[in-house]
Amino acid sequence: MDLVASLFPQENFSLIAVILGMPLLGAFVNGVWGRRLGKDAVRLMTLVAVGASFVASIVAFLALAHVVDSSGHKEIVDKVEIVRHDHAKLYWTAWEWMHTSGGREGAVVPIELKFSIDALSGVMMLVVTGVGFLIHLYATSYMAADKAFWRFFAYLNLFIFSMLVLILGDNLPVLFVGWEGVGLCSYLLIGFWYGHLPNAAAGKKAFIANRIGDFGLIVAMFVLVQYTGALDWSGLNSGAQNLLSTADAQQIHLWPIGGGQFQGFLKFLQPEHPFSITPATAVGLMLFLGCTGKSAQIPLYVWLPDAMAGPTPVSALIHAATMVTAGVYLCCRMSFVFVLSPATMATIACTGAATAFLGATIALVQNDIKKVLAYSTISQLGFMFLGVGVGAFTAGFFHVFTHAFFKACMFLGAGSVIHAMHARIHDDEKAQDIRYMGGLRKYMPLTYWTFFVSVLAIAGAPLTAGFFSKDEILYRAFINHNVNPFAEQIHKRSASFAIWEPPQWLGPALFAVGVLAAIMTAFYMFRLLFLTFWGDFRGWTIGRPSLLAKQEKEEHGDDDHPPAGGSQGAHHEEDLSTPGYAPHESPWQMTVPLIILGTLAACAGFLNAGLFHFTPMNHWLEPVFETATKGALKVKEGAHSLEWPLTGAGVAAFLIGSGLAYNWYVMRGGAPAKALAEAQPALYRLVLDKWRIDELYEKTVLAAVDALGDTAASFDQSVVDGVIARLTALIVAALGTILRAFQNGVVHVYATAMVVGLAAFGWFFVAPHPNAAITEKNGDYVIQAGPGMGYAFRWDADNDGKPDSEVFTANDQVKVSMPAGESKTVTLEVVNAFGLTGKKTITVSRPAAPQKLELGQN
Amino acid sequence: MSTAHTEPAETETPSTPLGPSQIATLVVLAVLAIVATKVSNVALPVIAAVAIAAVMPRRHGWGVRAPIAIFAGLLTLFVVKMWPAAAGEVPETTTAPWEPASLLTWLFGLPIAGAIAILFLPRQAPRVLKWTTLIVMFGTLAASLPLLSISYGREFHFNQDIVWMEKLGIHYHVALDGISLWLVILTSFTMPIAAYVSFGSITTRIKDWCFSLLLLQGAMIGAFVSMDMFLFYLFWELMLIPMYVMIGVWGGTNRIKSALKFFLYTMFGSVLMLAAILFLAYQYARVSGGTPSFDYFELQRMLVPQNVQTWLWAAFALSFFIKVPMFPLHTWLPDAHTEAPTAGSIILAAIMLKMGTYGYLRFCMGLFPESSAEYAATAAGFAVLGGILYGALCAWRQDDVKRLVAYSSVAHLGYVMLGLFAATGASLEGSVLQMVNHGISTGALFLLVGVIYDRRHTRHVDDFGGLAKPMPVFATLFVIATLASIGLPGTNGFIGEFMIITGTFVSTKLGHVNGIQAVGAAIGVILGALYMLNVVQKMFFGPVTKKENKHLPDINGRELVAVAPLVIMVFVIGLFPNIFLSQIKQSCARVQSDLEARIAANPAPSYYTGPLKLLPRKSEAPPPTVAAKAAQPGQEPGK
Repeated sequence: MDLVASLFPQENFSLIAVILGMPLLGAFVNGVWGRRLGKDAVRLMTLVAVGASFVASIVAFLALAHVVDSSGHKEIVDKVEIVRHDHAKLYWTAWEWMHTSGGREGAVVPIELKFSIDALSGVMMLVVTGVGFLIHLYATSYMAADKAFWRFFAYLNLFIFSMLVLILGDNLPVLFVGWEGVGLCSYLLIGFWYGHLPNAAAGKKAFIANRIGDFGLIVAMFVLVQYTGALDWSGLNSGAQNLLSTADAQQIHLWPIGGGQFQGFLKFLQPEHPFSITPATAVGLMLFLGCTGKSAQIPLYVWLPDAMAGPTPVSALIHAATMVTAGVYLCCRMSFVFVLSPATMATIACTGAATAFLGATIALVQNDIKKVLAYSTISQLGFMFLGVGVGAFTAGFFHVFTHAFFKACMFLGAGSVIHAMHARIHDDEKAQDIRYMGGLRKYMPLTYWTFFVSVLAIAGAPLTAGFFSKDEILYRAFINHNVNPFAEQIHKRSASFAIWEPPQWLGPALFAVGVLAAIMTAFYMFRLLFLTFWGDFRGWTIGRPSLLAKQEKEEHGDDDHPPAGGSQGAHHEEDLSTPGYAPHESPWQMTVPLIILGTLAACAGFLNAGLFHFTPMNHWLEPVFETATKGALKVKEGAHSLEWPLTGAGVAAFLIGSGLAYNWYVMRGGAPAKALAEAQPALYRLVLDKWRIDELYEKTVLAAVDALGDTAASFDQSVVDGVIARLTALIVAALGTILRAFQNGVVHVYATAMVVGLAAFGWFFVAPHPNAAITEKNGDYVIQAGPGMGYAFRWDADNDGKPDSEVFTANDQVKVSMPAGESKTVTLEVVNAFGLTGKKTITVSRPAAPQKLELGQN
Repeated sequence: MSTAHTEPAETETPSTPLGPSQIATLVVLAVLAIVATKVSNVALPVIAAVAIAAVMPRRHGWGVRAPIAIFAGLLTLFVVKMWPAAAGEVPETTTAPWEPASLLTWLFGLPIAGAIAILFLPRQAPRVLKWTTLIVMFGTLAASLPLLSISYGREFHFNQDIVWMEKLGIHYHVALDGISLWLVILTSFTMPIAAYVSFGSITTRIKDWCFSLLLLQGAMIGAFVSMDMFLFYLFWELMLIPMYVMIGVWGGTNRIKSALKFFLYTMFGSVLMLAAILFLAYQYARVSGGTPSFDYFELQRMLVPQNVQTWLWAAFALSFFIKVPMFPLHTWLPDAHTEAPTAGSIILAAIMLKMGTYGYLRFCMGLFPESSAEYAATAAGFAVLGGILYGALCAWRQDDVKRLVAYSSVAHLGYVMLGLFAATGASLEGSVLQMVNHGISTGALFLLVGVIYDRRHTRHVDDFGGLAKPMPVFATLFVIATLASIGLPGTNGFIGEFMIITGTFVSTKLGHVNGIQAVGAAIGVILGALYMLNVVQKMFFGPVTKKENKHLPDINGRELVAVAPLVIMVFVIGLFPNIFLSQIKQSCARVQSDLEARIAANPAPSYYTGPLKLLPRKSEAPPPTVAAKAAQPGQEPGK
């Protein structure tokens, strides 16, 4: 440890470069030379890259533990001596990336490519590289037959790199690099078999749903940088209080937008009480929008089930174990911002509970093994957000940790099953349909047992990993009550400032929804287990191997996908009634990860067994959440006495769900389920169609955007181009046409025009033009009449209706003076050489006194 | 040795799958490389070049590998040399950098002289013509490199001010600051690429084509460096003619109409601008009591009352808004892009549109700060609604790839304009960087669309599908350009958009709507992904439905050499934006503080209503050259 400490000082912990660099290198090498290198080399490269990253992560983690240990100091709380640790971090700065302006004074905020490892990111890093390595190992066998083997591993390594950037980034923009990076990799991997159009479409859907979330993140970033003047974790932490300013100018005004006033005919839009929220709520909600995108929560969860179009290891790694938990990670990372707004916390908790419930209902009836797992993932992510939303950050994060193991294990198990099914069933959908499976535990014991352990864990069987993490969440949901940590100060500063507090019934209500979802979880998971592994095999007739060996000469492909480029027809559909080989267990590259993950799914719960007061994980993460939870959480009185009864509810949920599933699917062969579906066909259809949420979105939001796009495009063509270009051209052309009519070359017409013109000129000269110019000096106005041919003038300066002199004279000007603020009227008469007279009345007014000063200055 | 991290040592790792002897060789090479980087900074580019040449797929001959390798080396050199010194570090050299006053003249003089030289070359020798053009362009590129040797602060460099027409106050005045620096470099960098790629597809009237290219380059560089309004206008109009000819002669089926539309739109604006310039110069003579002046720094001193300033601002701004183009004056752009030949589109998108944004930043904001601030909020509304959102929606609905990219330009330049209107430090820097970014990513997109057009003679999205299968390298490059265009972090697009959006939110120029405008700009990020990924999916993914597409040849050497620099630049800017920002920063700070100072002195809403007067000359302005010491500028108006 001392060697590591001396090689990599805390402030320049360049081992992070290795952790990040190896997967990037792997992606680069595989991406650029992969095609030439061949499969063995690609496999070696990819495993070495992730493996080395994992080893480096372990070393870094140990180094961190060393630093944390040495920072321990004893404190006495409630007469018990406990050891507290600092929030220690290991930093590495790559280089200064860019800067922006922010803060109240618009100062320059530098943004560095800086990475850090602390307790939270350290655990996450180990999960990503560790589980990542196992899944890579699994995939080397699973994808062995794929032509684009190299491309797959280039993407997968790039994903690990991006995920690590996301986790280790020390400021929001760097996190955002990883955040979008994993979205990109997810896009590329979902659409990995791009020759099949639905896959590419699913990738696009995922990317765009994620982009909606990213929009939230961008908005959160600029609000944060404006109010806190920083984007790195420590700067945000210290500046977070600014988000709770009570000044009206500092609020986020939602309606009227920006705090303006509607005037005139728009006045009816002006509300009596303008609607505004604190910046803390705005940031919290926007960050959470980002989380709903990445972590598949309501309303943006719809991309995740479609994402199952990707290869199964991808589903395990990206869409179960790591990427989708990034939202929970962000909530934990930014916990100090979220807790400032109890409204946001309540939103998160409610969304989490609702998603947990909704996901579970859909998973009840799905028949595609991967779809069941996908909805189960959505549901479990809901649990995590429920935990985070009630302020139990450790519990929520711990569920991320355990979920990574059991869900990855289940997905890999499902992959193993699909791999086996593909031996005879080449149609993707059928190969994943649990109605064609059954009895597989005989043929695939390892897959079965690991899957079984994971099912126990996710269903919350006592003492498994899922039991400890899920029950902790439910327990915390019941007892925690979020309040604004600065409520008192705010109240002191401005008594009228409204502070929202969640109602007392919220906790129990969330708990109830959570328990319901837990019952359903146990039910659908055991349903899946029983239908897949128990009973009789329904896929094809299994014949005697000795007979089959004679019959069958042909190789059967065991890739589980239509080959890229649409040559799907190459696989001939087999007649499944003819006897075939029994489904086979997978090779060691696939089973070893299963065993390791299964073991972890069984045991990892003891890292935070709150029930037995053995909580090393909680202790480890405490410094991270210390600032966040201080003052923001009120735990209900007598909470500790509730711990065992509430755990009892969790266990009961497990027993009810699993017992019901056993009763229905094992004892009664699925008859009750069928009967229920037949009794309520409409409801069954609706749930099977995922509550038609996709269709709802298509009909509403997407249709609206679609219509908007069509309108914009046609508006552009017809109106904008029509008015600006074609109409102006038309006017010019019309003008030309009119003028052309005169230029017709007929002499008579020209002569007429000449005559008319001459006459007009003549009239102008003959008619007198009484014009006058007025000049002013110190209140004396001189009215000067305009000259003309033989003009003589007659004035009426005193405005008595009679001219001042009867005769017209050559006097062409008259002087008028008057006091300030008054006006006079002068009449001018003109006679010209032809004896014609003209008359004009001129009113001269002198502005009021103050103006005079200014004029004088001039 | 912070620079050691800039390029991963690529030579080390492929050793795993190779034989022992090769591993040994590579390890020795890697060790040598590491030692060399420790010894000298210059070693790194050489290593990068060798590494790139070594890793390029074998099927490309040295004709492709050598240029890309050399380019990679030069780029590494660029990154190493331009790396901004850390705060504590003292710059190594204290001697004044080499700063010849005539360098800018060379920069646009070379292409224009080259264009004239082309006229004397035989029409029958296309190779000679092409080589001459390329050599002149590379010469210009080389001549523009010394520009980078200077650290740009708030002041102007390479100032050359010669009295030209004394009575009229017209000077030959060129100068460069951190804002125009990158636009000039962008021009000298993009033009050879556009020219090189065009030589593959342009087969008729090579002589005229080469002449147009060189004349256009000269005019564009001239417009970026002119500090005399007369000179600027001269170049501004000179630009139009070659582009008009390019679209009209080598364009598609509707070329005449599009060329005319392009010309009329731009001309309409510029005539108004000319009137405003003449008015300004005339007023200057009146107020200074001497000769008129067209000098930017002199005209900047004029404090014009609000009612007059509004009209002058409008005349300038209209001209620039058409060029950008901003809604609702944008419809010439899709037409021009669709009909223009590939190189024309690249030049138009990469450089000519920047003329509008640059002009607004330099002249509208520099000469009429009060009016610029007064109308910023409204104009920003146009930029967000009409540019970013509306442009994106229109782009989404296009069937023609080139039209789509053209509309995406409208959206991207909406960001740039929004950043200019917001006028905060970050948003201005972001805007200037985004001008360069857009040039690179959209240039690359147009280039790639040109590649597929040359093969299929259609740009209709529905005529493609599943192209990733026959053309994997092309698809990869297109996806990279797409990602840069939609602003994925790590590519150049993100930096610009991020700085503009965060800068907009902190702006005080946009009234109370700055928040919603920043949010609107952020929504544009979603729409960007929508339309670009839509077209990528339709063109590249899914089964190959058309049999013409089954055996399309992948991108060839010429095209690869042309597009590689752009693709590399995407990542260079995305990862090392500070190289660029450190040069831009102070110049933008100058623009911003000038603006703030003027607005603080003449506050809203009436700004300034008094008579026209002259303010003292700005301290950053280069010292004035006065002809014959006749008129003393700064003298009070004698009445």
